[in-house]
Amino acid sequence: MALLRNDQHTLTGVYALDALDTAAEVARFERHLNRCDSCTGEVRGFRETATRLAMAVAQEPPPTLRAAVMADVARTRQAPAADDRARHARPLQRPSLLPRLAMAGAALGLAAAIVLAVVLVNTQNQLNQTQSQLGQTQQQLSQAKRHLIAAQTQLAAINSVRTAADATLVTKATKIGGRITVVRSAAKRQLVVTASGLPPLKAGKVYQLWLIGGPGNKIRSEGLLAVHNGRSGPVLISGVLKGDLFGMTVEPAGGTIQPTLATLAITIPAS
Amino acid sequence: MRASEPESLRPEGGDYYLDGLLTRVARGDQAAFEAVYDNLAGPVYGLILRVVRDPAQSEEVSQEVLLEVWRTAARFDPAKGTAATWVLTIAHRRAVDRVRSAAAATAREQRTAEVPVPHDDVAAIVEASLDAQRVRECLEGLTEPQRESIALAYYGGYSYRQVGERLGTALSTIKTRIRDGLIRMRDCLGVS
Repeated sequence: MALLRNDQHTLTGVYALDALDTAAEVARFERHLNRCDSCTGEVRGFRETATRLAMAVAQEPPPTLRAAVMADVARTRQAPAADDRARHARPLQRPSLLPRLAMAGAALGLAAAIVLAVVLVNTQNQLNQTQSQLGQTQQQLSQAKRHLIAAQTQLAAINSVRTAADATLVTKATKIGGRITVVRSAAKRQLVVTASGLPPLKAGKVYQLWLIGGPGNKIRSEGLLAVHNGRSGPVLISGVLKGDLFGMTVEPAGGTIQPTLATLAITIPAS
Repeated sequence: MRASEPESLRPEGGDYYLDGLLTRVARGDQAAFEAVYDNLAGPVYGLILRVVRDPAQSEEVSQEVLLEVWRTAARFDPAKGTAATWVLTIAHRRAVDRVRSAAAATAREQRTAEVPVPHDDVAAIVEASLDAQRVRECLEGLTEPQRESIALAYYGGYSYRQVGERLGTALSTIKTRIRDGLIRMRDCLGVS
């Protein structure tokens, strides 16, 4: 028996490299793993080591992969973590409060009952307040739903650019740090902008997007870029003309009509 | 200006940065997922291509893996390992599943016969990447049989029985070779 355990222990390497032969072998080893802390630690270290072996053979994936994955992501619901479900399933405590107070009241004398009545009124007030908060929450919820529908429509438009047959992807570092990624479709005359790692701006400053070019070399503001922790979700820009240049500047809050060219952080051909 | 070349394959801020991103992905943050993609799609695709060998199939498996990362991100537990390892473990398993099915294995052997892939020559594989200098040095510190066994199992996707058959070596020997080799790699790379 000791021999068998030892035998299992030396399988840590094979297991960490997914090189066991059958599902039964994997199941047997995992049963052993549950009882063997030193094996668990060893497997963990081997897996991190394997990660370095994987990093060493990294290759630029085909550009079509990104669009395909992001389209999948946009329409795929995430699986909840196991304990999330438990938290949602727990019933609310509040409804049991009133009956319990009432029962206690019956068992007490008159003086106590008066005190209790005050408590009951207070509780009732709290309940009313909670109900009115609930009403507000419901209003917020339906507002959130409207926002969600708007966002979904926007997302569908974004995905149609990303999956367009002529879509091309450019990602480029800005002069002030972070990266801008642009997916362009000349056929749709649209582009989708995402940002990551942008530096935080001083108070009263915003990132503003531009299209520069077209007939008469006009400059059009394409609005402000909402940035959270240096990142921005995809932004759709429509009406791109042949020869347009996409650009981003730093402007005073609210944005400007003409870009401050000294703050031009990046330009990317938009078509 | 196809700019997402080598530098996007390098993590922007190491393990903690990626762990934090994946935790945000678990809360449905698509921008965080895009950043995870930018950091790990290269290693995911490169690893799967190494095992599966056929580019079209590798792209398909990569797509499945990256979607699984999005879908099951809530199961990632930073206490049990880094985000990169969580993602690349899924990638390796899926790649191995793909090549182990009998039909796929036969097809792969045929392709291997047509186009010889120098999967035994680990140094040559790893040399292709600029980021991998340290990994290469550490691989050179292994014995030849250790290097060969680890490469066939991890990059080749072969089971240890198949590795034994290919090398004409007893199973118990393969088992210890892989473990001893990984211990040496782990210590050389300074993996905790």
